[in-house]
Amino acid sequence: MEAAQLELENVTKRFGGVAAVDGVTFSVAKGEILGIIGPNGAGKTTLLNCISGVYRLDGGDIRWQGASISGLAPHKVARLGVGRTFQVVKPFGSMTVRENAAIGSLFGSEQARLAPKAAFKQADSVLELVGLRSKADLPVSALTVPDRKRLEVARAVATRPKLLLLDEVMAGLNHVEIDEALDMVRAVHKTGVTVVLIEHVMRVIVGLCQRAVVLNLGRVLADGEPEVVLRDERVVEAYLGERYAKRLKD
Amino acid sequence: MIGMSASRLWNRIFIGLALAVLAYAVLAPLTSLSAAQSLNVPLLTDRLWFRIATIIAMFVVMATAWNIIGGLTGYAAFGNVAFFGIGAYTTGMLIAKAKWPFLLALPLSPVAAAAFAALVGLPLLRLRGHYFAVASLGVGVAVGELVQNIDYQGQPMFGGASGLFLPIFSIGDRGLFFFYLMLGAAAISIAVTWLVLRSRFGYGLIAIRENEEAAAVIGVNTTAYKVAAYALSAALTGLAGGIFSQWNVFINQENAFPIEYNVQMILMALLGGTGTVFGPAAGAVVLQLLIQFLSGTLPVTLSLPFVPSDAMPVIAQIILGLMLVIVVIFAPRGVIDFFGGRSRLSLAYLRRSLRETSI
Amino acid sequence: MTDFVQLVIIGLLAGGIYAVVGVGFGLVWGVLNIVNLAHGALVIVGAYLTWQLFTSFGLDPFLTLPLDAVALFALGYLLQRSLINRIVRAPLLFTFLLTFGVNLIAVNILLLIFKSDFRSVTPSYSGQGMELGSVVIPYVPLASLGVSLLVAAALAFVLNRTRAGLAILAVAADRDAAQLVGIDLRHTYAVTFGLGAACAGVAGGLIAMIQAITPTAGEPYTLQAFVVVILGGLGRVSATVVGGLAFGLIEAFAQSIPGSGSVFANAIAFGLMVLVLVTRPQGLLGRLR
Repeated sequence: MEAAQLELENVTKRFGGVAAVDGVTFSVAKGEILGIIGPNGAGKTTLLNCISGVYRLDGGDIRWQGASISGLAPHKVARLGVGRTFQVVKPFGSMTVRENAAIGSLFGSEQARLAPKAAFKQADSVLELVGLRSKADLPVSALTVPDRKRLEVARAVATRPKLLLLDEVMAGLNHVEIDEALDMVRAVHKTGVTVVLIEHVMRVIVGLCQRAVVLNLGRVLADGEPEVVLRDERVVEAYLGERYAKRLKD
Repeated sequence: MIGMSASRLWNRIFIGLALAVLAYAVLAPLTSLSAAQSLNVPLLTDRLWFRIATIIAMFVVMATAWNIIGGLTGYAAFGNVAFFGIGAYTTGMLIAKAKWPFLLALPLSPVAAAAFAALVGLPLLRLRGHYFAVASLGVGVAVGELVQNIDYQGQPMFGGASGLFLPIFSIGDRGLFFFYLMLGAAAISIAVTWLVLRSRFGYGLIAIRENEEAAAVIGVNTTAYKVAAYALSAALTGLAGGIFSQWNVFINQENAFPIEYNVQMILMALLGGTGTVFGPAAGAVVLQLLIQFLSGTLPVTLSLPFVPSDAMPVIAQIILGLMLVIVVIFAPRGVIDFFGGRSRLSLAYLRRSLRETSI
Repeated sequence: MTDFVQLVIIGLLAGGIYAVVGVGFGLVWGVLNIVNLAHGALVIVGAYLTWQLFTSFGLDPFLTLPLDAVALFALGYLLQRSLINRIVRAPLLFTFLLTFGVNLIAVNILLLIFKSDFRSVTPSYSGQGMELGSVVIPYVPLASLGVSLLVAAALAFVLNRTRAGLAILAVAADRDAAQLVGIDLRHTYAVTFGLGAACAGVAGGLIAMIQAITPTAGEPYTLQAFVVVILGGLGRVSATVVGGLAFGLIEAFAQSIPGSGSVFANAIAFGLMVLVLVTRPQGLLGRLR
């Protein structure tokens, strides 16, 4: 069995007296598509922030390719090949679409870090991957919300990550847009990137992920195949509440 | 020309004007050389000309330098005059106390200023927004005070309140020499900005300005980049200070750490357009000419009816203040934005920017 | 020992002035997120108003203080309503520059009117004080301390117990939400700035009795207001008062250092401020935002 690429062991993050993430343990294998689901406030984004180095851990350890990365600054984590997007997109507003994509190639992992000329050449192929090639010269302000999400993904992909963390990329998209986004994620995955995505849209989890981890109140509730996990009593109860869960059982 | 859009036409006019001014600035001083005089070339410059022109060049350096930390990186430093003073006193002390030759001492000014910036930048650049601005202002004021008042074995270390006197730099055509030197520093500042903007470093700075958190997760070492930008900005400003000290022959807290320079360099960058290569330079030229005009130091002076001439300096300051207020309210994006063709200077533009910023 | 007590007295008395200067500055900064570089100018305007009333009408300076408050409130309200409101949504740099411009205009108008001669307000009781053992407590600074604390208390009362004050607190908490519940944003902003200016006006009146004034004498007070607010902590009147008193004490002790302690006043003030910003940004009493 291949060693896990990303390992979380007993990861804990507190804010004041509240443990937003409480003893979370799971691993991600190379090339997997893992979904992280859970009701609001479950600690999903906090977990992502812990992995990418935005937050310092209060307990536990995170290992990437065997070495511990907890406590590393975000840019160091990025250099090691972990890329991420933000739930509320953070584009570089005064730059064009192409520049936003290129800047990922300028920095990023060891495989990226190109000189400006090369980075800009790269940018177009990345934009192609996410479907923004035709809008490369537009300013960011001219983009629609789904396109901004694509740009966010493009920028992260341009850093040539080995692992891509996507935070609710599908939020706010309609059915057609979700299908397009699914294709985009599959295309990125095909290039050999391990994907971990936080999602609320169940269709995406079931259709895309090989495995799903359910978080509730900072703890792992279930970990397994999406269809199995979604039928788990405790998961249903966490999402719908005790009363409805009971109703469904009867 | 027919059929060209209005903004592109203005763009061309502006570029033409700028080139003409530049050519004049670079070539006119040559008419003062004795070689030119013996050929009966009309004299275009005099001591006043050199003085004003050197001051303008000095502000071009400072405004362009500020732009690197303030405009490109988005950290509006309010105390950059500290670096000017450090540069001035570094060169000044090396010449006056250690008896170094000027041209050997000068390169140490940017080094000293950059080192200081790196030192204070590490803690300071962790602060955001107002706090960083205020803290950098504080550092600027404190450094000036310290330099003036520190004593060493009972004597003021840096010349104290009576200031530091430097021996006059002996060279023929001194006005011309120092003007070209300062102009050279200005050229270096602009060149550095140009290089930064097309390098990975520059893109990193802009990324930090636009969204520091996003910049960090795509791999920008934000701390290192910010400190580097601050140090670079300091180095250029320090260079201007070093040149100033020998040029002016006398430095003290008042002329080496003038607090109003802080606002002036920011205003110049703002006026001309932060984040561009030539914006701060253009702003520096325009604003400094205006300030000199209002202060009555230009051959052409302003005289208002009913105003006695001894009240003029005060009136000049009031006019300056009014202009500042008007510019800040109506033109947040700077003159270059308009001349660069990105927007047209119209009532609608003014009304739009007003609406964007008011409540 | 008596030297120590005397220094503490001096420090607290000076601190009272710093507190009332800081309270107005901190209100505008904390609520409106506006750093008012013209605050010192407003203080000096108040000082000149007191001087003028004292000189032309023989009014006791303490009686002019309410007039200072009202006049400066009106001035502040107008300033905010007509000018500063226009750049509230702009990057913070613009408020710095705008208020700097206002400062330039105000100081120079004062220079036109009053020239740069030094003036002072000297009522019959100035210079006198009470003696407790070998410690001297001068009357005017003592009364000033009392007034300062009164002003701070009044401000806190207005903020917490009146409708206008609650509107201000609401706007400070969430500008857009405040609008949604029907608060007139422009008016509330102007009232806030007016209150800050009123505090500055009273501070000016007090200062006129304690030092000689000239149009440019307000500059140091802007800088000191910074230090006081950061030292005490942005966000609460009581915190700023503590900051003011603390700063007064620190300054008194620093100036007593043999040698050139007094000359380093600014350097110490700013060094302290930077230290606080870097190590404990919420100040002594503030809450971390």
